Amino acid sequence: MAKARALDRRRKSVKNIRKITRTMELIATARFKKAMDRSVAARDYTRQLAKILENIGGVGADAAHPLLESRPTKKAAVLVLTGNRGLCGGYNSNIVRQSVALLGQWRSEQVPARVSVSGKRGISALRFRGVDIAERYSQFEDKPEFAAVAPIGQAYLDAYTSGAIDRLDVVYTKFHSIAKQEAVTETLLPLAPPQAGGGAVKGKLASDEYDFYPSAESILEEILPASFLSRLFKCFLDAAVSEQVARMVAMKAATENAGGLIKSLSRQYNRARQSQITGEIMEILGGVEALKK
Amino acid sequence: MADPKQAGTVRCVIVTPEQTSLDTQARSVSLPLFDGLRGVAHGHSPFIGRLGAGEVRIVGEQGGPADAVRRLFVEGGFVEVAHDEVTVITQRAVPAEKVDLAAARAEFDKVSSMRATGDEEIAARFRAQQAARALVRAAERRG
Repeated sequence: MAKARALDRRRKSVKNIRKITRTMELIATARFKKAMDRSVAARDYTRQLAKILENIGGVGADAAHPLLESRPTKKAAVLVLTGNRGLCGGYNSNIVRQSVALLGQWRSEQVPARVSVSGKRGISALRFRGVDIAERYSQFEDKPEFAAVAPIGQAYLDAYTSGAIDRLDVVYTKFHSIAKQEAVTETLLPLAPPQAGGGAVKGKLASDEYDFYPSAESILEEILPASFLSRLFKCFLDAAVSEQVARMVAMKAATENAGGLIKSLSRQYNRARQSQITGEIMEILGGVEALKK
Repeated sequence: MADPKQAGTVRCVIVTPEQTSLDTQARSVSLPLFDGLRGVAHGHSPFIGRLGAGEVRIVGEQGGPADAVRRLFVEGGFVEVAHDEVTVITQRAVPAEKVDLAAARAEFDKVSSMRATGDEEIAARFRAQQAARALVRAAERRG
């Protein structure tokens, strides 16, 4: 009886765990939808900025701006975006691996790197690997707010213009689609120059019509920091969306796995019970046979 | 835009990094450019401008009374006007009725008491002061 009862107890606990993972999956799905909506809503801003940049590019304002010039990297800054929570598959560990590789590269080039980490998971994992972390953020959950991201971005802008850093890399999980997210390293500073691609001819025609107040150069000067901030914000949003997707997938797999486990445990339990009953019957029959004699 | 029902109106879109906070048809829109107000009505010539801190006033929104005014406080950013479409791109847009007067005053005092040494810091403080002052003004007008 002992074996069957132990199997039954295990089966019960696996059932409870399955309830938890299924709930987590549902929560992650709901959060993912919300995060996705926010990410989609944020696209308009980037699109409008790009439209203005294109129009300015058409006018031929020369793109000489401190944020665009790339200098030899003497001091680097790295921003790592991870989650505050685990149970989301390889989401955090992929980021940590990627950032350790990047830091190793800076070390081999003997470039001091200033590391900032968002998310408790990344903070503890990198501290464990002996990385010196300059700033820690753990306030970003599944809904990063622009008002919270902007000061961080502004600090990087100031550091870059004053020469305290020569380059900023962000390690985060880029969201391509619901089936594909990957840990990437993106260089945000120096800014990639506004690309004149796409409808260059169309842009030129349109930009002839525009007046600029006060001037195209001055708008360019203001728009570059804004576009940097929006790109940084995009990284945070992508990271938040990817985290929810990763958790959703991980919890779905866990739920399915628990289902399989329950099935096999049930089978074992039934077999054990059956053989126990058979054993008891055999004993009774043995007793009857003994009495007959 | 050639819809006859919408003749004489402009479309006003306000975009912040987080969302498109407003998309509406209106009779006219007044914008706080970096050096003063500018009104835009139907048929305005296209331009791109830098915004200062202040109120965007949207007059005569469709579906409401012709002289109804909706006010939004914006802090810097850009505006693009073309084809009877006003696109305001800003980091922050708050409906004026949600601006907290006490908080705005406190912000102004905090900014004013900031110590600034050197041209750049003084200029930065001046800008912050202007933004806070515009915020206070927006809050006062309502109260």
